Amino acid sequence: MRKRVVSIVTLCLILVPFLCGGVYAKTLKIGSMSPLTGPYASDGTDIKNGVLTAIEVMEEMGGIPGYDKIQLFPQDTACDPRQAVAAANKLINLEVAGVVGAYCSSSTIPASDVLDEEDIIMITPASTNEKVTDRGLPYMFRMCGRDDDQAPAAAKFMKESLGAKTIFIVDDKTTYSQGLADGVADAAKSMGMNVVAHEHVNQGDKDFSAILTMAKKANADIFYMSLQGFSPAAMMTLQAKRLGMDSQIVTQDAVFQPRYMEVAKDAANGVFLTYGFTDPTTPEYKAFEKRYVPKYGKIAAYATYAYDAAMSLLKAIKAAGSTDSAKVKAELMKLDFQGVSKHVKFRANGDSGSSYIAFKVEGDKFVPYWEPVNGLIK
Amino acid sequence: MEYFIQQLINGLTLGGMYALIALGYTMVYGVIQLINFAHGEFFAAGGYAGAIALSYFAGLGYMDTHPILCLTGAFALAMAYCAYLAVGVEKIAYKPLRKASRLAALLSALGMSIFLSNGMMLTRGVYDAVYPSELFQGGFDFGMVTISYLQITIVSLTAALLIGLNILVFKTKIGMAMRATAQDKTMSALVAIGSNKIISLTFAIGAGLAAAAGIMYGLYYGSVKYDMGFVPGIKAFAAAVLGGIGNITGAMVGGLIIGMVEIFGAGYISGEYKDVFAFIILIGVLYFKPTGIMGENIDDTRV
Repeated sequence: MRKRVVSIVTLCLILVPFLCGGVYAKTLKIGSMSPLTGPYASDGTDIKNGVLTAIEVMEEMGGIPGYDKIQLFPQDTACDPRQAVAAANKLINLEVAGVVGAYCSSSTIPASDVLDEEDIIMITPASTNEKVTDRGLPYMFRMCGRDDDQAPAAAKFMKESLGAKTIFIVDDKTTYSQGLADGVADAAKSMGMNVVAHEHVNQGDKDFSAILTMAKKANADIFYMSLQGFSPAAMMTLQAKRLGMDSQIVTQDAVFQPRYMEVAKDAANGVFLTYGFTDPTTPEYKAFEKRYVPKYGKIAAYATYAYDAAMSLLKAIKAAGSTDSAKVKAELMKLDFQGVSKHVKFRANGDSGSSYIAFKVEGDKFVPYWEPVNGLIK
Repeated sequence: MEYFIQQLINGLTLGGMYALIALGYTMVYGVIQLINFAHGEFFAAGGYAGAIALSYFAGLGYMDTHPILCLTGAFALAMAYCAYLAVGVEKIAYKPLRKASRLAALLSALGMSIFLSNGMMLTRGVYDAVYPSELFQGGFDFGMVTISYLQITIVSLTAALLIGLNILVFKTKIGMAMRATAQDKTMSALVAIGSNKIISLTFAIGAGLAAAAGIMYGLYYGSVKYDMGFVPGIKAFAAAVLGGIGNITGAMVGGLIIGMVEIFGAGYISGEYKDVFAFIILIGVLYFKPTGIMGENIDDTRV
């Protein structure tokens, strides 16, 4: 009998460290939401890689006091509102401290409604639709710019720098692309330009020959291409060139992906696009480049924004010393630092300001070309 | 008028590609009455195989010296690879279910489609695989109308493949065996036709044609992606049904019609409704002539 008691007690003692391990090894859980499958998987993967890089950097800087490690729970939204809501619910169940995402505005908006009910902080690196922050959700933040900043900047560029009088607009009917295309149409009209047509294609289309033939016939000064993702944009550019279209192609931030030139090749040369200005000469950017490129390849559209979003979140959690959303939010509002993509300073509504300029594609590079205040960049 | 001609050329190119994919659907249906939903993935796999082969040749520097030879090689490799893949898929996913209900085989086909497309995503990555651009640059430019060398190549190659298939099915012993198997598996087995071999062959030929379409697609649009099989697959399925599923000539005609309707719908009415027009035609045909425009069960033309 005594032998048995001793052995049971010994067994219990052996188990103690294991039980304690579960209690003391604390993990800070961070969520990310982006399309990891489907047509926008490439941009979604960039976002995930950006967040992973931020976690890596934070852990090297000593991590967050009270936590042994930071773990990312990447969720796939597939740019589908239903899947985004499911992903948000999953992250709520995992009790994450904050979420970076999503990519498509049409995913971010419904997912943020769900996360907001649980007071979970969400910072989107890529959704530019106005509604994302205009709904007044207390824990919704945005790292990139807004469509109503980008559309006037694009229209101003077309009028002042390119001297355009007529525009042919195409979008693919996503919340993002259509919202931006509408904004450009309105801004262009108010600046006295003539929108000759505003056509739509479907998401997932690869053949644009019919629309492009129509645009070639219209022969407008500008062919404004508003598409979700670089891949359809590259195909459209290539087909436009093969068809011998003369209009100047102008497009927007979703196309800011080095792979655009890989796919569209020579056809991409001379295309203009608007995108937030990131200074590649800052030490922050260079450090990021050094770390990111060997691991994940070329720095693409949203990797830098995702990095800055995750970094802001982690910095705020570290400063707050807690994952309580109200405290973290207070710290987020205090943040004022030079990030990789831009200077990070949140406004009261959760936006972080915009810095849209026009880039020109030259060879395999996006070259800064024009900015709204001073005009041409020399 | 020029606008019309340009759209006609666009429609012909797109329709030709649909026709090539539709043939695979129709042949497989003709022989074992199965809608092979994984067929669109053979098309995507062919596109990838072509991209890999062409990049390899380009890397060796042969692209500049022997472009036609490289292209022929890429077509041969991709078609052979997809034929092999299709035979494997048939053995794993369809053959064990041949005696089961049709629904089971259909579900198995759907599962295979998802499996293959995700498999491509995991092995080849989420980014576009780019085709070398040096091939068939330029074309004839008549002001408003532009015909690229690429379009001419695609249309003529499609025509050549269709003629070749017709000869194979209607003029050779193998074709006769295929038609016999399609009519009655048991009876053809009694006259010493190996129905399993014929079914495998049908899958192989159908997938080979899809692979050819995949390469043409890659050359035409500049790149291929793992999820590119789905939409053309559905369109080609619609084309096969439109022409009368099981009927080879019907699949060609159906493919061309779907391509034309799509381009003219987009060009003259609105780009966002082009899929609607394509499928309205399909619904109309099913409603008024359920066997398709060329008929479904004419035994001579059925594979």
